[in-house]
Amino acid sequence: MSSNTNAPVKHKSISYAKWGYLFISPFFVVYIFCSLVPLFSTFYSAFFEDYMDGLKHVGPTFVGFENFVTLFTPKSSGSIDIINYAGNTMIMWIMGAVPQIVFALLLAVIFTSERMKIKGQTFFKTVIYMPNLIMASAFAMLFFTLFSNVGPINQMLTANGGEIFEFFNNKWSARSIVAFINFLMWFGNTTILLMAGIMGIDQSLFEAASIDGATSVQVFFRITLPLLMPIIIYVVITALIGGLQMFDVPQIISSGKGSPNNTTKTLVMALNNYIGTSKNYGMAGTVSIVLFIITGVLSFVVFRTTEPKKEKKGGKK
Amino acid sequence: MKKRIMAGLLAAASVLAVAGCSNSGSGSTTTTTAAPAATTAAPSGGDTTTAAPADTTAAPAAPASEEGGVFNIYAWNEEFKGFFEKYMPGYDASAETLDGIKVKWTINPSDNGVYQDKLDQALQANASAAADDKVDMFLAEADYILKYTDSDYTLDVSTIGVSQVPTEYQYTVSAASDANGKIKGVSFQCCPSALIYRRSIAKEVLGTDDPDAVQGQLDSWDKFDAVAAKAKDLGYYMTASFAETYRVFSNNADSAWVTGGELTMPSAISQWIDQADTYLKNGYTLTSGIWGDEKNAQMFADGKTMCFFGPAWYFNFCMGNAQDPEKGCSGDWAICKGPQGHFWGGTWMLAATGTDNGATVAKVMKAFTENEEVCENLIVNEGQFTNNKTVNEKFANDPSFGSDFLGGQNATAVFCGMTDSIVWANATIYDQLLNEGLQTYILDYYTGNCSKDEALQNFYGYINEKYPAIVTP
Repeated sequence: MSSNTNAPVKHKSISYAKWGYLFISPFFVVYIFCSLVPLFSTFYSAFFEDYMDGLKHVGPTFVGFENFVTLFTPKSSGSIDIINYAGNTMIMWIMGAVPQIVFALLLAVIFTSERMKIKGQTFFKTVIYMPNLIMASAFAMLFFTLFSNVGPINQMLTANGGEIFEFFNNKWSARSIVAFINFLMWFGNTTILLMAGIMGIDQSLFEAASIDGATSVQVFFRITLPLLMPIIIYVVITALIGGLQMFDVPQIISSGKGSPNNTTKTLVMALNNYIGTSKNYGMAGTVSIVLFIITGVLSFVVFRTTEPKKEKKGGKK
Repeated sequence: MKKRIMAGLLAAASVLAVAGCSNSGSGSTTTTTAAPAATTAAPSGGDTTTAAPADTTAAPAAPASEEGGVFNIYAWNEEFKGFFEKYMPGYDASAETLDGIKVKWTINPSDNGVYQDKLDQALQANASAAADDKVDMFLAEADYILKYTDSDYTLDVSTIGVSQVPTEYQYTVSAASDANGKIKGVSFQCCPSALIYRRSIAKEVLGTDDPDAVQGQLDSWDKFDAVAAKAKDLGYYMTASFAETYRVFSNNADSAWVTGGELTMPSAISQWIDQADTYLKNGYTLTSGIWGDEKNAQMFADGKTMCFFGPAWYFNFCMGNAQDPEKGCSGDWAICKGPQGHFWGGTWMLAATGTDNGATVAKVMKAFTENEEVCENLIVNEGQFTNNKTVNEKFANDPSFGSDFLGGQNATAVFCGMTDSIVWANATIYDQLLNEGLQTYILDYYTGNCSKDEALQNFYGYINEKYPAIVTP
């Protein structure tokens, strides 16, 4: 090889890659130590009994799968808490995420429409993104006050001769408030992502469609939506991951108790109960694993079902 | 294929990105990996925001003694802080120092056990914390003081030169003593809890607002129930929260919540569950929690509620609405013993093991129990009932002393007559969340969201999550 004078030159031309690795390495170092190691240690702690009883440390004692058994043991009424919590989380997520994505899609299409050419776009984009800048807990406090039995909403109801409606003692109104806050906080973010996606689509396709006489609805369903699919998948999966970890809003609204009747209690709230007071690493680790599995399975399902079929005609990128 | 890789990368990136965020702490998204991160980080003191409060100011001029430079106090509300800043001898409000030592407060709400959690973390890290970050003194409430007195994280106060004085009420000393009788803290309050009623409503319902006459008509639960019905007929609520009478029952319970690691509901609590049920069904009370806005709104002049229950700290700390100059009704209140004597709450000062400000802790403890001037200020200006018999009795026996808020009534005299009935018994380290949790979960039964059994199961489930050591029914 050394006799070949061309080889070293060729080699030099691709050696820039090492700088790339160097520049991305800090992230991986931090990720390994701050996320990956804790991730494995969570799996590890799930097999131990390890908590504080008051200020006394109990364990760690290896207990095998006992924590999982505890977690999935039905109550005397027959229901299993962790499954309820997973159900609550999904219900509240869907209640918020579906309108969030639909609304964001609509706004993204409007903002990027060449025909409408909306003025003051930057202003609107800033405004719709604004709720995301407010802390979720602050939002939750605000809505808690708004919808409380003595809050302005109930004052309006009673001013017109109505009865007080106890929003936080009705499971659907309580869940709706949680979902609405999440929707309000995240639709701006989603809109911006989807707009970026739409702007990435070749404008000539839209022009060609309008020359061919396609209506806006046709353009949306035949061009925008199929070509936007990868971004939509990304949006759905990130929203799903965020949604499964729903915590702060229901936590604040129900003081960590998932009122009424545990219907707003999410998986992470349960996790927080385990880890908060008694530092119960065993059970908290177990809940984390369940959450991890659910997230993985659901992401896979979303990924699979939304992936465009290969043999589908048109829309080839 | 390329597209699939791309989508996969995007998905992976999202997981990574969200996971990356998690390390920044309690952001809006807590993630699968956030929990483990917290799990492992916490014991090593990773949660720096709470475990080790950062020093906010530069070290002050060297204090006179050998005391540490920063006096760290942990508390769950601003109440004591207010008293401390106003009345503590030697406190310099502008520099926030006590005898040249910087005073630093760390306040976390007690709701859902947050205060205890943060405090526990700090206490466990106290031995290894930097001198200026060490917890020196912390406050504890009746519901969980046992957890701290019964541990090595608190000092026997005799080691810092504080001993029991005869002016203290015995129950406050019993509550702060560990199993071996060592005194671990002192209370600056004595908290017999009274029935606080609206004079104008009492006149309408009972025909009188004289405390003795009102007491005569409300001195048993049967009479209380009868009056509740009468009040309802006249368009008034008897109480403003279904949990208003909870403490009257729970602090008179004849058994502990938890014995030998097993949870058994004291019969007094079962009685309360039935009473609250009846009261809500009959419209005698509201679904508001004991700290709820709806209940507090009932303290305004246009409120329709006759009775509240609370100790001396209640006037200042919970009845702000009643004292509101515009919408309130100061002067339209009075107190009497009510159906059953009881106590509620109380704030004990405890010295944390490892403190580098032992002498300062002792000084504060003594000031708020033995210093008559401080105690007098607490009574006259703050409407408190102090843990100093001499001072309390001085005001109780002063016929000219009375509270404007209570229409001139001498509350101190009423409270003095109630102290003997306070017994410290049946406390457990779990009481706060048991009391708080039961009140929240049982409400779901009252509001028709579930059966009583389901509500109790939810409550037990919550306790299992919070306290794995407790075996629930």
